[in-house]
Amino acid sequence: MGSSTSHLSKELLTEYQELTFLTKQEILLAHKRFSDLLPQESRNVEDSLRVRVSTEQILTLPELKANPFRERICRVFSTAPERDSLSFEDFLDLFSVFSDAATPEIKSHYAFRIFDFDDDGTLNKEDLKQLVNCLTGEGQDTQLSTSEMKQLIENILEESDIDRDGTINLSEFQHVISRSPDFTSSFKIVL
Amino acid sequence: MPLGPQNSAQSAAGRMIPDVGAARPAPPWPYLGTQISSPAVAPGTETRMEARGGPGEDWIPRGPGPGPSLSALLSELPSSATVRYRGPGIRPWGDPEPPLEQSRQESWSQWQTAPMASPEKPPESQALRELPWPMEAKKLLWRLQALSRPAKPVPGIRGSKGALLVGRVWARLIGVPKMLVPWRSILMKIGGQYGAGTEAYFGLLRFLLGLNILGALFQGVLTLLPLLLLGPIPGPPSSGVTKTCGSYDPVPQGFVDYVTHLTNLLSGEGHLEWSPLFYGFYPVQLRGGTFQLPVAYLLSTFVSGLLCLFLILRRSMSGLKQTLLSESGALTSYSHRVFFAWDFGLQGSSPVELRRRAIRYELQVELEEASMRKQAEARTGAQRAGLWMTRILLNLLVLALLGAAFYGVYQATDPHKNLQEDPVVQATPLLKLLIAYLPSIFISTANLILPPVFSLITSLEGYTRSRQIQFILLRTVFLRLVSLVVLLVSLWDQITCGGKPEAEACATCGYDYSILPCWETRVGQEMYKLLLFDLLTCLAVPLLIQFPRKLLGSMCGGRLGRLVKTMEFQVPEEVLGLVYGQTLVWVGGFYCPLLALLNTVKLLLTFYLKRFTLFAFCSPASRTFRASTANFFFPLVLLLGLAISAVPVLYGIFVIPPSKLCGPFRDQPNIWAAIPNAIQGLSQGAQDFLFFLGTLSFAVPLMLVSSVLMVYTLTLATSYGRLVSKLKGHLKMESESKVLLAQKIVELSGEERDL
Repeated sequence: MGSSTSHLSKELLTEYQELTFLTKQEILLAHKRFSDLLPQESRNVEDSLRVRVSTEQILTLPELKANPFRERICRVFSTAPERDSLSFEDFLDLFSVFSDAATPEIKSHYAFRIFDFDDDGTLNKEDLKQLVNCLTGEGQDTQLSTSEMKQLIENILEESDIDRDGTINLSEFQHVISRSPDFTSSFKIVL
Repeated sequence: MPLGPQNSAQSAAGRMIPDVGAARPAPPWPYLGTQISSPAVAPGTETRMEARGGPGEDWIPRGPGPGPSLSALLSELPSSATVRYRGPGIRPWGDPEPPLEQSRQESWSQWQTAPMASPEKPPESQALRELPWPMEAKKLLWRLQALSRPAKPVPGIRGSKGALLVGRVWARLIGVPKMLVPWRSILMKIGGQYGAGTEAYFGLLRFLLGLNILGALFQGVLTLLPLLLLGPIPGPPSSGVTKTCGSYDPVPQGFVDYVTHLTNLLSGEGHLEWSPLFYGFYPVQLRGGTFQLPVAYLLSTFVSGLLCLFLILRRSMSGLKQTLLSESGALTSYSHRVFFAWDFGLQGSSPVELRRRAIRYELQVELEEASMRKQAEARTGAQRAGLWMTRILLNLLVLALLGAAFYGVYQATDPHKNLQEDPVVQATPLLKLLIAYLPSIFISTANLILPPVFSLITSLEGYTRSRQIQFILLRTVFLRLVSLVVLLVSLWDQITCGGKPEAEACATCGYDYSILPCWETRVGQEMYKLLLFDLLTCLAVPLLIQFPRKLLGSMCGGRLGRLVKTMEFQVPEEVLGLVYGQTLVWVGGFYCPLLALLNTVKLLLTFYLKRFTLFAFCSPASRTFRASTANFFFPLVLLLGLAISAVPVLYGIFVIPPSKLCGPFRDQPNIWAAIPNAIQGLSQGAQDFLFFLGTLSFAVPLMLVSSVLMVYTLTLATSYGRLVSKLKGHLKMESESKVLLAQKIVELSGEERDL
């Protein structure tokens, strides 16, 4: 099946299969797509496992290009110090969490982190405001009016903030998720 | 002080992740650094906490001095510790020269010398992929675990290897049916561009295709195949011989011109009437006498019906589970609309823009509806009375329209106004065809005209939008399925002389043999015509309505053009069309055994046609349909169709005497009598057992046991529901206590500072 330098080793594949929700074909496909983003000279196996790809390059993928949360997704899954590049394993983690087979718990965990725009561990009013703006559009005319936004955020906090501290923490978020059966089908990216 | 990444790194260093306990093992690396005595002391944390209480959060009790604010304190708690292992300041694994501060370096070496604190319960390998850790951490834990369980395959090398092989083969086998399911990529693409509701429609179409293939297979294998293999192929029934129940001569004699051939093909008459397509063709006995065709004929219907019931229930049960779990939509609609609005699988900038527009529209509508609801509560008594008067009038209007439609359908099949007898009509085959298709034309016209009228009427009733949609759906379902029932009732009227077996036309043979010498074939023909007409409508609508609309819209520019050009894929109406077609097949399947095969072809054509019109003409829906509602509601309506179709079929099997001149049951008093006759041929033990199953002494205990089981399950469900609400109350109370305690701590530490 070709030289060993152009394919992942069997042990590594098995390990990745154990540690992610992806099947073997999906892991190989992810590896191929990741290698396509690398410069020509680092496309062999050892380099592809070591080298990081910058966020701008990752965002050229068609699956992520138009997603309003694309920068947040890259930031959340990156293990680089400045959180601006992804290694192959980060890439795998990304598609593992967004795959069909991932559990709702891990999806909700990462969804919370993606929605937490200021990375402080809770969804406060600013985070919710940025979230709604992401959803409705960036331009001035596509955003909700200030009064509508205020009313909406108050309603959301009214519904989901159980301990009434003005923010939504992870367990409250997961509580809301557990009552929605549509979450797993919408939190899905397939390569 | 600006809140840069460094500040937050410092503050991150000031917190130790509290151990969440055995439920989740602590990550094996100190991403948060060493513990500092109290969060209030570290300068970095203070800045952060101050910066946190931004504008708008004015309810946070600000202590007199710089102390921990409420939100900072609350975020220390285990319940809100999100594991920010990918957070700022985290070194990637294996990075050679991390610029660590002193404290973190100490803790790093500390960790490296000490063995990993094994959690109380080592997580199984499955749980590893469910942990929200980066890959490096998972790999480390995996390798450490591999070291600590060397002798896992304890029960012997052979046993473990065999078990491993079996597991692998089983996983492969499970994967095979998934690969066989066709059109997976097409459905995913549709879902990404047009939303989950449209995808649910195409999923339902695929499911119905499978059902029809199974049904066609059963009926083909059990009825057609033996006939073709064993024979004899029955010739046309003896013409000219008049028996007690009249004569039956379907095959046209002499030369048949092309046009008549075409009309015969479209209405199921002529040569088609005496063909394996219809019930009348099948003989009573086959050559050899071993294969009982009547029994097989009956069994194929029952088995395929039961199989359909089982498959539909299985499909709707998954949807039901999800719908039952989620609470009533009114309580959490805002959170749902914001948190779950985005479909991450969407690709391409225009679908994204459209979806964004749709979300904004939905949010605005939701807020509007809320204000409308508030307004409605503030209505005076007089206004309310006026509104209810309007509603009653409109409902009467709806009933009148429905009644008119049903009356029209009834009249179209009334034999006394039978225009087919008219000699003028007989001469022109086109007119004859038109008359033959009159019931279908009526039903389809009603189904095309009335639903938009219903939407108009419902919008005047002053309900909220979601309630409106439910009403429209209800009325359209009613229209579709009951118009079919009315057709069947008029047929029944013809066959059994209005249900009066003593009427002179029905006295001799039990059915009206003068106009319907072979009534089963007639019923089959009606269903066949309806199905064909449904297909023709399906082909005609894009050609005659959607394509010109799109053309017109693109020709006249501006707003009007855009209004005309924008067509959306109306998921509920399309689904009802599918359900209607399938109900036709279920009703007609007994009288026209190859109808399931025809429906398979029809569904295939429909799939490709709808997909083409979807991509060519339709824009993404402005109002999205929730996937879970679709998965529960659509199979439910299918079930309703199955239930409705069971009634005429069972009535025909058990009550109406079969035709004496055609079909495999021609010498039986009723169709069901074939089964007891066949049972007589079995051994005595089998006979006794089967007869016992039909007696009361079996049915009554069975019913009692089922009722007991049902009551038990219901009680269990209610008690669980009560437990859940009690636990929710506890949760709320605990949260309130927690907030109170945190507030007290803030106050106390603020006072302490002052001292």
